[in-house]
Amino acid sequence: MSNMEFKHTQLDNGLTVVGEINTAAQSAAVGFFVRTGSRDETSEVSGVSHFLEHMMFKGTDNLSAAEVNEAFDRLGAKYNAFTSEENTVYYAAVLPEYLLAVTELWSRLMRPSLRRQDFDIEKNVIKEEIAMYKDLPQFDVMDRCKTLHFKDHPCGHTVLGTEESITALTAERMRNYFSNRYAPNNMVLACCGNFDFDSICSLAEAQCGKWKPSDVSRELAFYTGSKDKQRIEKPNLVREHICLVSPAVPMQDERRFAASLLAMIIGDSSGSRYFWQLVEPAIAEVAAMQYESMDGVGALYSYIRCGGENVSQVARILGGIFEDLRKRGVSEDELQKARNKVLSALTIKCEQPMGRLTNLGFNWVYLQRYRSMADDVAAVKAVTPTDVNAIVAEFNPGDFTQLSLGPSRD
Amino acid sequence: MSEHIDKRILDNGMVVLAEPIANIGSAAFTFLVPSGAATLPDGCCGAGTVITDWLFRGAGARNSRELKDALDGLGIHRAGSVTSSHISLGAALEASNLCGALELYSDVILSPMLEAEQFDLSRQLALQGLMGLDDDPRQKVMLELYEKFYPDPLGRSPMGKSDELEKLGAAETAEIVKSNFYLPDTILAIAGKYDFDRVCSQLEKQFSVTRPRTDRQIKPGERCGGYTHYKHDGAQVHIGLMTPTVTIASADYYNAMAAVSVLSGGMSGRLFTEVREKRGLCYAVGARYNALKEYAGISCYAGTTPEKAQETLDVIKGEFNRLFEGISADEMQRAKVGLKSTLIMQSESSSARAGGIASDYYLLGRVRPLDQIKSKIDATGVDSVLGFLEKNKFTDYTVVTIGPKQVEHNQDPDWGEGTR
Repeated sequence: MSNMEFKHTQLDNGLTVVGEINTAAQSAAVGFFVRTGSRDETSEVSGVSHFLEHMMFKGTDNLSAAEVNEAFDRLGAKYNAFTSEENTVYYAAVLPEYLLAVTELWSRLMRPSLRRQDFDIEKNVIKEEIAMYKDLPQFDVMDRCKTLHFKDHPCGHTVLGTEESITALTAERMRNYFSNRYAPNNMVLACCGNFDFDSICSLAEAQCGKWKPSDVSRELAFYTGSKDKQRIEKPNLVREHICLVSPAVPMQDERRFAASLLAMIIGDSSGSRYFWQLVEPAIAEVAAMQYESMDGVGALYSYIRCGGENVSQVARILGGIFEDLRKRGVSEDELQKARNKVLSALTIKCEQPMGRLTNLGFNWVYLQRYRSMADDVAAVKAVTPTDVNAIVAEFNPGDFTQLSLGPSRD
Repeated sequence: MSEHIDKRILDNGMVVLAEPIANIGSAAFTFLVPSGAATLPDGCCGAGTVITDWLFRGAGARNSRELKDALDGLGIHRAGSVTSSHISLGAALEASNLCGALELYSDVILSPMLEAEQFDLSRQLALQGLMGLDDDPRQKVMLELYEKFYPDPLGRSPMGKSDELEKLGAAETAEIVKSNFYLPDTILAIAGKYDFDRVCSQLEKQFSVTRPRTDRQIKPGERCGGYTHYKHDGAQVHIGLMTPTVTIASADYYNAMAAVSVLSGGMSGRLFTEVREKRGLCYAVGARYNALKEYAGISCYAGTTPEKAQETLDVIKGEFNRLFEGISADEMQRAKVGLKSTLIMQSESSSARAGGIASDYYLLGRVRPLDQIKSKIDATGVDSVLGFLEKNKFTDYTVVTIGPKQVEHNQDPDWGEGTR
């Protein structure tokens, strides 16, 4: 743990390479972090970032899709990618001896062919993924509430797109989006674990040095949210699925640690205010809050699931929780428990290089700086009840956007 | 990789196993308490889930709030689950809090308050969780699949049945805790950073209790098998399929694992390639090895829109059956590398390793050292896997679907079909 070393460099074309070296690790992890997601899309290409993420696995002019999958599996890689409102991340965890090979493979894939035939087949897979999430109301309600909350703000764009937008999307439009957003000056290459940083840098220079930078940007604006309330009926549902969203500090704000502790005090799965007032007395079977820090904006998301007969009681209790929070704030005692939980979660996540990779990459993408685990531990320990209460006073989490999904009411 | 397993059998007969992981600051432990879904008396399905919640509503001298405050005060990440054979109580935490955490867990296991008024809340939460399952067809299809695949009561859903949960009483549930929490059949596994002598001397004191053995012979009955469809007006048809294979104690276990890896080990696996990459039928498709002590199977899940459901099932069964026709040397090599790299990466995670140690001891009566697993994987080859497949043909598939449309599944005329 203490033997971690940070190194970084930047290629002439703007690609940043960051590394956290831990020679005691049994494995190593690598990721390309691309600063692009659904918030960077126009409505006519809704879902293109995520669809493109799938297409990146389809190979280059010299590699077919099947060859790509075989190459990863030959290295025993645990690999995948994910797309959010503002990032697309490609990652792999491997045994140390395969890190250079897997980094080379990802580097090649970052300049894909985007073949028309692959595009047409993968369109079906994307539509299946959209259908799959429709059968996961816990996901569906959060996605719809996010859109309701952010309204015209780009963070309300859906990541998957819709059946219609995906049907209408053309390979040509995807190529245009790719050439603007996947520029080296909009990407970070991050590595963690047991590896040699200089070898990774030489490889990056050889593989990525010729990529052309582009004039790429993102509109940043804070948004407090619509505070709208809506209920949508879905006849096949049995339970009531409720999502609440309220504003919070962005990733660039030092107060993000206080916001994250606030979410834990209100809505951790055990010992939180939601837990004691909703779950422990069996009024709701699930009640959780999490803080999401984003680029220039932030939000607290709650998810609550209960029976239809308990909906009004849940609403009353939520009202009481937020009123009490505004009037009395949080206590040192509950903050201390939240700190302990955050700190042990950090320690557990740090066990594997793959766990460190997202912290390393996102800290560079958002803050252009390295934060060690010790930096995060110190920041969590330094948060006081006054810091948390200041966030409550400024953002008033009780004033939220709400969307519910549930069965038809007779 | 560590080759060192610490083992101690406490005076009360409970076994403690531990494996150190270098250079981490955390520790994790898992208690396997022999009170799984299959061990429950008839008519008490779901009691395991109720008990898992009820245990934490006060234990030793602490009431519910004091106990949870104490657990949170140590920053413990708790995980409780119910399997066919056990209630599994897991925790991950900073290593310096390990002894404090074990002290709290000894109260939870040995002296839970089990108050009647708290029981009703635990029972209501279990009922609500069960109702919530209707909104999660993807999870539900696999629970239904295990229930149909394994001989009753081994495949029972840990979430229980609503009519039985409605009737479940506090006294009979407390009696289950009393008779099932038998310490000589309880396993504690620890992984990460710990001081074994200190942990054991503490455990000797806290677990210095002996309890009489209760006769809990489970006599597995008939398997349901066949095809079952549940109507659900969702967006997809969720398909679960399972076929018998060898258990972990079999000499062919690693050949079975390699066969599963060829089918579904990575994105170059046959299922992903044929179902998703070539045909675009699914987003999610995958197979895994699934084992109890006496029975095991290879299970597969796929979710797809109704008009593609039949083709999806047919392609999946086709790929299972096509394994017998041959495996290329390159496929075999990828399968082995994948298995080994999963193994090594899991060995870095204290929670994964603690769970692995506990389940090895239950299933095999010993813990397989990681290097031994690695050499067994290395010893597999195309010939050994094909030899295994020849001896263990996939002839009977249990299939469950949930969704707006039924499929045709006529694998073997000996197996009946049913629809709900």
